[in-house]
Amino acid sequence: MVNSEGQLFTIEGIAAALILLVTVYLVMNATSIYTAGDTHINDMQLEVIGSDALKMMNTPVVGANMSPLVTIVQNDDGAAFYTIFNNTLNNRTGSQSDKIQFMANVSYVRQDGTVNTTPLNSSRPIYGGEHAVHISQWIITENRQYPDCFAYPNYCKTKHAALVEVLLWRD
Amino acid sequence: MARLNDDAQWIILMAFIISFSLFFLAIILNQSTVVGQTTSEAVSEFPKEDIRGVRNMVIQWNFLNDTYMNDKKNVQNDIKALALSRQDAAVDFSFTKDSTGNYTFVKIHYNNGVSAYNENWTFPS
Repeated sequence: MVNSEGQLFTIEGIAAALILLVTVYLVMNATSIYTAGDTHINDMQLEVIGSDALKMMNTPVVGANMSPLVTIVQNDDGAAFYTIFNNTLNNRTGSQSDKIQFMANVSYVRQDGTVNTTPLNSSRPIYGGEHAVHISQWIITENRQYPDCFAYPNYCKTKHAALVEVLLWRD
Repeated sequence: MARLNDDAQWIILMAFIISFSLFFLAIILNQSTVVGQTTSEAVSEFPKEDIRGVRNMVIQWNFLNDTYMNDKKNVQNDIKALALSRQDAAVDFSFTKDSTGNYTFVKIHYNNGVSAYNENWTFPS
């Protein structure tokens, strides 16, 4: 005859196993594990800082005037871009400034319909090892002063769309 | 019949429990990397700022004057060309007036192959 003395032990054992599993599940759920994929959180912060800075530069100081960014692009004024953008990005409360590096380009359409990209300014050259994020800001320019405009002055006098693209990274 | 010997029941049960726990832990550790990867991909693939930028430009474009130097046509062509070459997105937009002439409808289409955005923006004018 089969002996049933072990039945209670077995049930107890299964219950204990379930309790252990539930505990482990709860503990693992509560712990955040930093995986390689989580680096996008830092990237997103950098993206938000950068696009906010560009949006601020693309806001007119007075009413319907041109924004500083539009003025800078129309005059190809890389020095002014460096000053304003660097101050907006890196100035912090306290004595130490932030160390965000950037490289800015402007893309526009030429008279023949091709798209050209010219550098605006950068805080230092890009060497290839940087982990950079990409942000951009659309603007409408009028009377743009670029080398390619000398051949087609009438084309550049009219209104055109341009795209300011910036790469941002921290050293 | 000989009496069944149940001396080792505890050892076997504990072995079961420990092996199940280890198995479960391994599954959780394995999944955690995948979760981080897929969320970050989903977040970085959605072109939130690009769509906002194009939408903002289309609305500005709607208020340009076409009688002077073809401003409206030029800017429309520029936006389409720049979005295609710099943001890998097909963009199209146009405006229509309703029959009463009181409303302007601006249709905005954005598609970069992964995410599509369509809007019918209405303006009272």
